[in-house]
Amino acid sequence: MSVIEFHLEVRSGVPTYLQIVQQVRQAIRLGILRPGDQLPTVKDVVRSLTINPNTVLRAYRELDLEGLVEGRRGVGTFVADGAAPLPPDDVKELRSALERWVNRARAAGLDDDGIAALFSDTLRPASIARVA
Amino acid sequence: MSALSAQGLGKRFGSTWALRECTLDVPVGSVTALVGPNGAGKTTLLQLAMGLLRPTTGELRVLGLVPRDDVVAFLPRVAFVAQDHPLHRRFTVRDTLKLGQKLNPSWDDDLARARIEHLGLPLDRKIAKLSGGQQSQVALTLALAKRPELLLLDEPVASLDPLARREFLSTVLEVVSETGISVILSSHILADLERVCDHLVILSHARTLLVGAIDDILAEHRLVTGPRADAASVARGSDVIRERRTERQTSLLVRSNAHVYDARWEQHEVDLEEIVLAYLGADAAPVPERELDGAAA
Amino acid sequence: MIWVSWRQQRAETIVAALILVLVALVLLPSGLHMASAYDHDGLAACVGAHPSPACSEAIGSFTARFDRIGNLIAWFTLVPGIIGVLLAAPFVLQLEHGTYRLDWTQSVSPRRWIVTKLGLAAGAALVASLLLTGIVTWWRGPLINVQGRMENSVYDSVGTVPLGYTLFALGLALAVGVVWRRAAPAVLVGFGAYFALRVFFDLSLRTRLFPPHSLTWRASGADPPSLHHAWLISERPSDRLGHPVYPHVTRAQLEQCANGARVSKDCLLTNFHPAFMHAVYEPASRFWTMQLLETGLFAGVGVVLIAFAGWWTHRRAA
Repeated sequence: MSVIEFHLEVRSGVPTYLQIVQQVRQAIRLGILRPGDQLPTVKDVVRSLTINPNTVLRAYRELDLEGLVEGRRGVGTFVADGAAPLPPDDVKELRSALERWVNRARAAGLDDDGIAALFSDTLRPASIARVA
Repeated sequence: MSALSAQGLGKRFGSTWALRECTLDVPVGSVTALVGPNGAGKTTLLQLAMGLLRPTTGELRVLGLVPRDDVVAFLPRVAFVAQDHPLHRRFTVRDTLKLGQKLNPSWDDDLARARIEHLGLPLDRKIAKLSGGQQSQVALTLALAKRPELLLLDEPVASLDPLARREFLSTVLEVVSETGISVILSSHILADLERVCDHLVILSHARTLLVGAIDDILAEHRLVTGPRADAASVARGSDVIRERRTERQTSLLVRSNAHVYDARWEQHEVDLEEIVLAYLGADAAPVPERELDGAAA
Repeated sequence: MIWVSWRQQRAETIVAALILVLVALVLLPSGLHMASAYDHDGLAACVGAHPSPACSEAIGSFTARFDRIGNLIAWFTLVPGIIGVLLAAPFVLQLEHGTYRLDWTQSVSPRRWIVTKLGLAAGAALVASLLLTGIVTWWRGPLINVQGRMENSVYDSVGTVPLGYTLFALGLALAVGVVWRRAAPAVLVGFGAYFALRVFFDLSLRTRLFPPHSLTWRASGADPPSLHHAWLISERPSDRLGHPVYPHVTRAQLEQCANGARVSKDCLLTNFHPAFMHAVYEPASRFWTMQLLETGLFAGVGVVLIAFAGWWTHRRAA
């Protein structure tokens, strides 16, 4: 029984392997995944998401390169010791900043959809730039 | 080594060419999608690969062998699940497995029985009494239990409901992850492609339009939009797959590598489904007679 | 591959077996009856070439009792045809439904598949026809002892020709089936062709292949020995040279024998005593020659058709 279950957003425009990477990163940040936890096996992910095994391997490789996980031959892939969640204070601070920004956007006249569009538009080039 | 390697492969039935000038290379360990409209030549290509048909022109090597030359050495290494998963309808599940055992020297009976048990299918039920999804799973079991190196699937999920389709593909992908077998599957359901496959072959009217690794294809194709007036100059430099125009704007789906466009031109990424439709659609650009099939993967 | 072939033709083989069982059940009561009457009347002693008057009478009464039942035999020559086309069905069905591709994508070569399946079908056909011949020969036994087995409808169901017929029917249905790739038409057309060709052979080709003998003899004497148990194709009054002779009927006789609108043939013939009789016949001594040649002919054509079916399948599916 694995600690984390991946999900796939087919139409998001984000490559599958990247979605897995992001979900692992997020889980580590939020403390859902802790050092020493085993990630789902390639076979399990393939079965539950019906995706190509190479995609999972690529995601795990990427996470390995980032130092977030380490693969142990014949056993599986585990969250690395050094992988630290974001300090809860950092999270708290980021959350308040975000709330303030949202309020400013609302005051400027943006509705929820407008806010979301502005946010993802800004986020996208940033993500692509980061990966490329 | 490649799982399948074709050079100028062609097959003619009477006076009709079902496949022609097909040149492609499928790497070992890949999951390759074969897409195209009905009658494009997908079944013909798969049957040639299995050795059910003999080529009219060109060369074909599967796992390094010529399919029909040494049937005894070849057949155990390649498995085929035909469209609508034909099984002997009067046979029971048990009979079907026995057929597999009698006709395949490389048959792994434990594997076959384990899978059937896992699927929860009673051994003494007649095939005709199974649902479509169950029949396709039995056909897949028959194919997998002979421990092939290459699995050929002809529209395996076309007649299945979404749940059965998922189950089938999940099973295939699990086997890929465990054993590293190569898979070539033909489908006209585009939605599954990007997540399931890592290589793509597009066929239309007996010819290959595009061959390659999906990652490369996604990286190479772009949707480029800009003012109509400048379309010609942009188009000249790159391989235009599809062109659409309004009064003021032109959008081109192009294949290029690192082509630099004018600042007024926007570039967008395209998903695989869009790319395939662009190649197959009615408004696709006529294919130049030179490099038809694209670079090998 | 043998188990697979057997399993694929199991249903049809069982139906063929049931047909044989049905034939046996139908024939059993009359067969036993005939056998016991034969023994009871002591006919075994009477079946030589020159029976005594008492024997002639016994034979006559035996024949009169069982002739009608005996005529049933004409129908049994259809059974090899039915069994033959039935055993062709599994092979053609596999082509029709495309399930041959399932077998060919296992690890068996198309050649081995074709040879094994056709071989098993032919083997089953031979076994079935042997059993059928055995059953019918047992049943007909007493009548054969009394009347011989040269007569057309009996000849068709005894000896070795049923084996030839079954292979012939099998070959016809297979040949039609592999070209048409539909089992139901193959079986129907195959049987239709079998029936038509058999009738044609029986009615004209057989006597052409084996030209019958002719014989003229004095009517007053005993029947010539060569006619004993022969297939009597025709027998009629004749002159010394064998030309047909007809009774001379006077007007007075006609009036005498008239009964309203009808004229009694027996009455007219009471005064007609021809000097000679002329017969066209196939002698009993020819039985095995004819049987073996005819079996060879039908079986040969059957085997050629079966081989064609195998060749066509192998070539076509390439």
